[in-house]
Amino acid sequence: MADIQFNHVGVKYPNGFVGLSDVTLDIPAGSMVGVVGLSGAGKSTLIRSINGLVPISSGELNVGDHRLSNARGRELRQLRSEVGMIFQSFNLARRTTVLNNVLMGRLHHTSAWRSLLGAWQHDDVELAMSALERVEIVSKAYEKASSLSGGQQQRVAIARTLAQQPQIVLADEPVASLDPPTSHVVMRDLQRINADLGITVIVNLHFLDLARTYCTRLIGMREGRVVFDGAGADADERVFESIYGRSLTAADVLEAKAEL
Amino acid sequence: MTAIGALGAVTANVRPVKPRQRGKVVATLLVLAAITVWAGLGVQIDLPEIVANFSNAVGNVVQLTQPDYGFFPKTIPALVETVDMAVIATVIGSAISLPIAFFASRATNPNTWLLMGLRFVMNLIRSIPDILLAAILVAVVGVGALPGIMALVIFNIGIIVKLVSEALDGEDTGPHEAALAAGASWLKAGRSAMLPQILPAYASQVLYTFEINIRASTVIGLVGAGGLGILIDNVRSFFRYHELSLIILEILLLVVLLESFSAWLRKRLI
Repeated sequence: MADIQFNHVGVKYPNGFVGLSDVTLDIPAGSMVGVVGLSGAGKSTLIRSINGLVPISSGELNVGDHRLSNARGRELRQLRSEVGMIFQSFNLARRTTVLNNVLMGRLHHTSAWRSLLGAWQHDDVELAMSALERVEIVSKAYEKASSLSGGQQQRVAIARTLAQQPQIVLADEPVASLDPPTSHVVMRDLQRINADLGITVIVNLHFLDLARTYCTRLIGMREGRVVFDGAGADADERVFESIYGRSLTAADVLEAKAEL
Repeated sequence: MTAIGALGAVTANVRPVKPRQRGKVVATLLVLAAITVWAGLGVQIDLPEIVANFSNAVGNVVQLTQPDYGFFPKTIPALVETVDMAVIATVIGSAISLPIAFFASRATNPNTWLLMGLRFVMNLIRSIPDILLAAILVAVVGVGALPGIMALVIFNIGIIVKLVSEALDGEDTGPHEAALAAGASWLKAGRSAMLPQILPAYASQVLYTFEINIRASTVIGLVGAGGLGILIDNVRSFFRYHELSLIILEILLLVVLLESFSAWLRKRLI
């Protein structure tokens, strides 16, 4: 199983900015973890270090059988194929079809000449279609990604991730570009992925209430350090102050019910 | 109201005075004018000479305004050859350029040395004038359409690789990052995530190159590389300005027709 272990991990960017300092975490396979904190607190760095998009500069980070500090080239791509990622701005190739976007999740398993010609294997297309069915957007398979709404695009991005058949899904502010009702739909999709498929989900969130509602474990970050790690129910006013440096206001919660 | 007061302290909320630019503009224009005059002196432009030789020119200009339409049938093969050369060169040149462009963009090639090397070669190619390329190739493979096509192909690679790689540089790399995060290699990610994004730009650059080729293929013939240029060289050296006039008219029509066709096509594509 793909457990994630941070052991005194530090990340320093080339410009000298410290993204993470001395982070020690143990995230067992199958968890649903919410990471909260102000922008610049290191949420994004934490998530991106897990699939090697941001290289760690000290400590030890293990994801399943892979050790991040040694992983390069082929091994890094192998690791990344087991870890899906969802982005704030969806990151779809907007000028091509929804199906082609989902098939990008299969690129690691596709030979170079097949990907150059766009000659996808039948099994991969089948996998992509069933991933689209899971997020209930399969009817749009042959439409251009740009013709979809923001919420629909994010669900296509989730399908792209599912097509990887990953053990871990990382979501970097997945609802920050969406309106409140759509945010809940996307969060519910992520919750279902975790509950139904047993995939570890780690999600960065700006709003504390979303994290409390959908995640079983909450990690609070401030200035590159983990300042809270526990169940959502334990995150009281005092914890909130330690994460955000001030008390809770109405601007920190997203109040709306899911609508389809 | 209190929120606004708190946000904008008194000093921060005063409208600024519009900065004055006039002095800079005048200075810039003066410098440009000085450079132009200095450059003119450098190449020894002699304005009185033009006036003195004006009578010589009048005869030629009058002949140029009277095209010899009877010469038309003899120009047809060269005219067709010019268009053929432009079409073939555009197809081959743009096909070769597309993959190279991906290796010449920072967005799709992480290897700095390969990137720099390729960009250097492309700059080198672009710095050679097309007519010089044609002259060299005529010396290598002999007179005819072949050296002309080869010159245009090389010339086109220089242009298309630059324009398409710049389109790639300016493209949002989010989808590419997503493909990399899914375990794709840079090559596969470029093909799947970036190619669809730049296809309209690529199509537009190919058509633009086709327009350049039409114009260029009429000129490179002057050094023996096929097309209308050879014909121009022949009639000009025998001072047959009535016939030269017809050829110029044909080039004008050809360029206008094909450019409007390509503009129409470009609009439909994008």
